[in-house]
Amino acid sequence: MTNQTIQRVEGALRNPLVLVGVGAVLTVPAALVLVLAFPLYRGLLSDPFWFPLLVMAAVLFLILNATAVCILAERKIAGFTQDRYGPNRVGFWGLLQPVADGLKFLLKEDIIPRRVDKPLFLLAPCLALIVSLVGFAVIPWAGEVHWPWMEAGTTVSTQVARLDIGILYVIAVGSLGVYGLVLAGYASNNKYSFYGGLRATAQMISYELPLGLALLCVLLTTGTLRLEEIVNQQAHSGVWYVFVHPLAFLLIVICLFAETNRAPFDLPEAEQELVGGYHTEYSAMKFALFFLAEYAHMITGSAVAIALFLGGWAPLPFTSWLADNTAWWAMLLKFGVYLLKVALFIGVMMWVRWTIPRFRFDQLMRLAWRSLVPLGLLLMAAVAVLTLFGGQRVWWAGLGVNVLVLLGVLWWAARSKQPMTGRQEDLPPVEFGAM
Amino acid sequence: MAGLLTIILALGAVGLFLALPGGQARAVRAGQIGLAASGVGLLAATLGWLFPWPGANFFAGCALVALFAAVRVITHPRPVYSALYFVLLILAAAALLVQMQAEFLAAALVIVYAGAILVTYVFVIMLAQQARPLVHDIRSHEPLLGCLAGFLLLWSIAVRLFAAPVPPAVPAADLPAAGTVAAVGTSLLTTYVIAMQLAGLLLLAALVGAIAIARRRPLRDPLLEGEE
Repeated sequence: MTNQTIQRVEGALRNPLVLVGVGAVLTVPAALVLVLAFPLYRGLLSDPFWFPLLVMAAVLFLILNATAVCILAERKIAGFTQDRYGPNRVGFWGLLQPVADGLKFLLKEDIIPRRVDKPLFLLAPCLALIVSLVGFAVIPWAGEVHWPWMEAGTTVSTQVARLDIGILYVIAVGSLGVYGLVLAGYASNNKYSFYGGLRATAQMISYELPLGLALLCVLLTTGTLRLEEIVNQQAHSGVWYVFVHPLAFLLIVICLFAETNRAPFDLPEAEQELVGGYHTEYSAMKFALFFLAEYAHMITGSAVAIALFLGGWAPLPFTSWLADNTAWWAMLLKFGVYLLKVALFIGVMMWVRWTIPRFRFDQLMRLAWRSLVPLGLLLMAAVAVLTLFGGQRVWWAGLGVNVLVLLGVLWWAARSKQPMTGRQEDLPPVEFGAM
Repeated sequence: MAGLLTIILALGAVGLFLALPGGQARAVRAGQIGLAASGVGLLAATLGWLFPWPGANFFAGCALVALFAAVRVITHPRPVYSALYFVLLILAAAALLVQMQAEFLAAALVIVYAGAILVTYVFVIMLAQQARPLVHDIRSHEPLLGCLAGFLLLWSIAVRLFAAPVPPAVPAADLPAAGTVAAVGTSLLTTYVIAMQLAGLLLLAALVGAIAIARRRPLRDPLLEGEE
């Protein structure tokens, strides 16, 4: 293609009408095929084995594309925060930027530096992506659905795996996530990458503790680990657990930022200190895999937090609307509501990134070990006492306990007269060894 | 049956002995082949055509992965790879636990071992990485005694296992509830409550000990003290 043709195509794609036209040309035939082939896959939709598989394929497709859109959203939001336009060259309003980015990642030279540990260097980005993708399996996307052609009273689940351990599965998978970063840091044979990997390990292990403690508070209330049960409880009573355990929600959101290595916890990849952290040596698609993994991790994490605290697919708090509706349109509506909630949650995460500056490493550790862990322990003890007297299902009792704990902590913080993040400590010369 | 098992296990022990780092390169290769053969033989003898049961393929696959990973943990010359093969071993073992309906145990194994302990191991190994491999990485310590002890242990277990009467089948209705979080939690807090409290106390003591060891003491500066 000549330069002129390229310019003409670029110009045309910036026209919203052309963009809509191209979109229609791509999607309308696909939709037609789906509608025409409906009798062929009707049986699969009502099959308790195949339907979750279809859901899995659909959700995987959705999420891999959502990560691309997330990157555009991130850059746009960064632009708005810094009073500039953000990407606006490719397509109308920069909407085709993900396509351009994807092409760039695929077509760039794939560099493997000479002195790296090659098997681990290649394994690391794959591990990071796999681990952040398999967490989706237990998310109850839209509850139960009853197709019109099914026998009355039978339903199929929109959840891929209905595990008894539910949330524990998410934790187990998440705890493997650190390997991708550590191996990338180690295999790169680069000091900056290595520091990034070390920081990632210390950070993720430290923040798993308050995460677990906050989860225990919710689990004491729900009495089950199954995510679909937890969402059902909230949808039926209308009381989302964020109203019962606001402090636990706060803890989980903070830990989510730390576990996904997002600002203000992005020390493993702090550009100003470590060049690029653990992915300094990565380029082209391998770098993109880390990027995808981070966004997929964000989506999983926020989906789990929403299932636990924000009512999952329940559209409105304080009502039980749609809770027992298993019609197919209700399923689509619930799915849409869930996705909307995830999108809002991720929007908040991006907003926070440009609002709160990055922590120093000692502040990060102090926040986890001196603030979040004691707070989590206190909260868990308080909720356990409440559970002992059978008040765990009474929402105002849970809220009252939270307010009491918060007041107590604030009182203690005011008394100790130390800022929570602390000043840089003057480290006296020390020797290692037992006292 | 017991004779066949003994042969398979002996083959495995010899193969493992040869595969352990420190021997001749050719012997190592032969040992690995022998090991692989005996592993497959063991699986074929235990399952498949001898004891066809639903899930045998899944078990065989996971067990093969676990066996391979376990051998690599002790034969790989580089400690980082050993630790990673240990992670693979944990994952395969967790998959086997899931097959036995022990989902909670599987999740706990992954969280505690792969997610916490081995990450710390990898961490330490990476920090302690030397420019060239050390003697105790290249050469294994007492390979003969180790292989012999392992062989004797496995052999006695296997022979007893096949000599024991087959236990009555558990009713299918009771199966799913046995490994659930509720069942495990209830038995931990009723039947085994004293053991659990003791374990907790032990962990607390270990925690205090770790802090005591890691604590740093201010260094006395002779120059500053001289001024007083």
